Amino acid sequence: MHDSSIVIETKNLTKRFKDVLAVDSLSMKVRKGEIYGFLGPNGAGKSTTIKMIMGLFHPTSGQAFINGKPVNGGAVELRRGVGFLPERISFYDNLTPIQTLNFFCELRGADKSVVPSLIKDVGLEDAANRKVGTFSKGMTQLLGIAQAMIGSPSIYVLDEPTGGLDARWVKAVREKLSALNEQGATIIFSSHILSEVQALCKRVAIIDHGRLVAEDTIENISGGLHIRPRLWIQSPSLNEKTIALIRQIEGVEDVAAKGDAVVITCDASVRLRVMNAMQDRGLVIKDFRTVEPTLEEAFVKLLSEEGGA
Amino acid sequence: MSPNPRSIYIVAKKEFADNVRNKWIVALVAIFLTLTIASSYMAGRGRVGDMELTVGVLISISSMLVPIIGIMLGYATISGEVESGALSVVLACPIRRGEVLLGKFLGLGSVMCFSILVGFGISGIVIGLTTGQAQWGSYMVFILLTMLLGLLYVSVSMCFSALLKRRVTSLVAGIVTFFWGMIIGMITMGLYMATGGSWTDMISGDTSSIPDWFWFEVFLSPQDGSGAAAMLAFGTTEILGFEFDVPWINLYSLVLAQTLWTVTPLVLAYRWFQKRDI
Repeated sequence: MHDSSIVIETKNLTKRFKDVLAVDSLSMKVRKGEIYGFLGPNGAGKSTTIKMIMGLFHPTSGQAFINGKPVNGGAVELRRGVGFLPERISFYDNLTPIQTLNFFCELRGADKSVVPSLIKDVGLEDAANRKVGTFSKGMTQLLGIAQAMIGSPSIYVLDEPTGGLDARWVKAVREKLSALNEQGATIIFSSHILSEVQALCKRVAIIDHGRLVAEDTIENISGGLHIRPRLWIQSPSLNEKTIALIRQIEGVEDVAAKGDAVVITCDASVRLRVMNAMQDRGLVIKDFRTVEPTLEEAFVKLLSEEGGA
Repeated sequence: MSPNPRSIYIVAKKEFADNVRNKWIVALVAIFLTLTIASSYMAGRGRVGDMELTVGVLISISSMLVPIIGIMLGYATISGEVESGALSVVLACPIRRGEVLLGKFLGLGSVMCFSILVGFGISGIVIGLTTGQAQWGSYMVFILLTMLLGLLYVSVSMCFSALLKRRVTSLVAGIVTFFWGMIIGMITMGLYMATGGSWTDMISGDTSSIPDWFWFEVFLSPQDGSGAAAMLAFGTTEILGFEFDVPWINLYSLVLAQTLWTVTPLVLAYRWFQKRDI
C-alpha cells in the first residue's frame, strides 16, 4: 500500500555510467507539503538522481516513484502535476519567451492565458518579445522557473533553481518557493549552497559520491553530529586572563577568542547563567547573540566522517 | 498506452512553424522552383522543355539536393536538443518519447513535402501550360517519389540523431549514408566488371548479358531507386543509364523499398530514443 503522505520516493536507485557509479542505491522519501533540500558537493549525483526521478535517465537498478507510481512505467499523466527545472536549462533559441511558454502550455495541456502573468512573475516582461537565444544565463533560468509553474503543479522538482541568478533574483526565487509551498506545493530542490537550503528547508538529504549520507531535519542532523549551539559575546575587557576566567564558569564547554569577541560553546539552558557569571566577574558585555549550528558545519563533518569511514 | 494524437500534433506544429519563422521553407520552395525551370530550359536547349525531358534532367540534381535537405532538417532533432538541454524540459511534460519523435518526423516531413509540392508543382504548371504537352499523372508520381525520398532522408538522419551522442556525428553519419547512396552504383558496376562484365556490351547498349543481381542496386541506393521509379513513371526503364528488363523492378517494388528505407530507420530511432538517457 502506498503511503499517500509520500510524494516522491526512490528505492535503491542506482545509476552506473560505464566505470562511474554516479548514484549508489539511493533511497529517500519526500513528504507531501514540505520543501525538501537535496544537498551535496558538485558531482555528488544530485542531477543524475533528479533526472531519474523525472524519467529522463533510466536507472541501472532500483526505482523512483511519484505519488506511489513508478516513473519509468510510461505513465505520462504522472508528469502533468510536476513542475521541473533542469540543471543548465536551455530553450529553443529562435523562440521568444511568450512563444516558448505557449508551446509548453500546449504540451502540458494548460491554459495559455497565464503566460503574460508568468512572464511578469519572473520579471521578463521587458524581454517578452526578444528571442531566447539572446538571453543571459540568469534570464533563461528565470524563464525556466516560469515554465515550471505552468499549470500550477502540486510538485516541483528543481535542480539548482538559483544557479546563475544575481542576489536580487535569488531572494525573489526563494520567496516564490516559500509562497508556492504555502499554497500547498511540495518542493524538492537541489543545491550546493547550504545557506540557501537552510533558509528554506525543514528536511534535507545529503548525498556524496552517489550515496545518501543523511536524510533528516536540519536540527536532527546537527544534533546527531553533536554540533553544539554557541554564544557569541562582544566585550571590551577581553584578554587572556578574562578568557581563562570564562573557561572556569560552570557549564562552559569551550571558549574561543575571535577579535574583540568570544565564542562560547555551552548548552542553551546555561547561557543566561554564563552571562551573569561573566558580569559578576567584572566583564562588560557590549553585545551578544546566539550562534545556531549551520548546515555548513554539519556538511563538513558528515563528509569528513564519510571520507574517513 | 496508445499515442496521443494531440501531443504529436503540437510537436509537429512547432517544427513546421520553426521552419516558417526562419524562412527555410521559403528558401526551399524557391530552390525547387528555380531548379525545375532551369532544368526545363536545359532539357529544351534554351526553350522550356517538356515534362519527361525536364524530369530526366531534374532527377540528377534533385536526387542529390533532396537527400541533403532531408539530412539538414533531421540531423539535430534529438542529439542537438539533448546537447543543448532543450529536450529534457520537453520530456518532463506529459508526453511520450514516441510522440515527440513522430511529431518531429511529421513536422519536418511536412516542411519537406510542402516545399517540394509547391516548388515542383508551380513549375510543373508553368511547363505544362507553356509546352502544351503535359504528362500530369507521371509528373505527379515524380513529385510524390521526390517527397518520399525527402521523408526517407529525414527519417535516416533522425535515426542517427537518436543513436549518436553529438549533433556533429549525427550529421556525419547522415552524409555517409548519402554517399553510400551515391557510390553504390559505381561499386555494383565495379563488381560486375570484376566478375567478367564487358565494357563493350555496356557501351553498345546490349545489356542482356548483365546478370540480374546487378539491378538490385536500386534497392540499396535510395537516390537511384527514387530516380529509377520516376523514370518508370514516364515509361522509361533505365538504371544507371542502362536499359533493364527484369520483372521484379517495377514502380511497386521500388516504392516498397523506399518505404522500408523510411520506416525502418524510424522504428530504430524509436527504440534508441526510448533507451536513451536525456
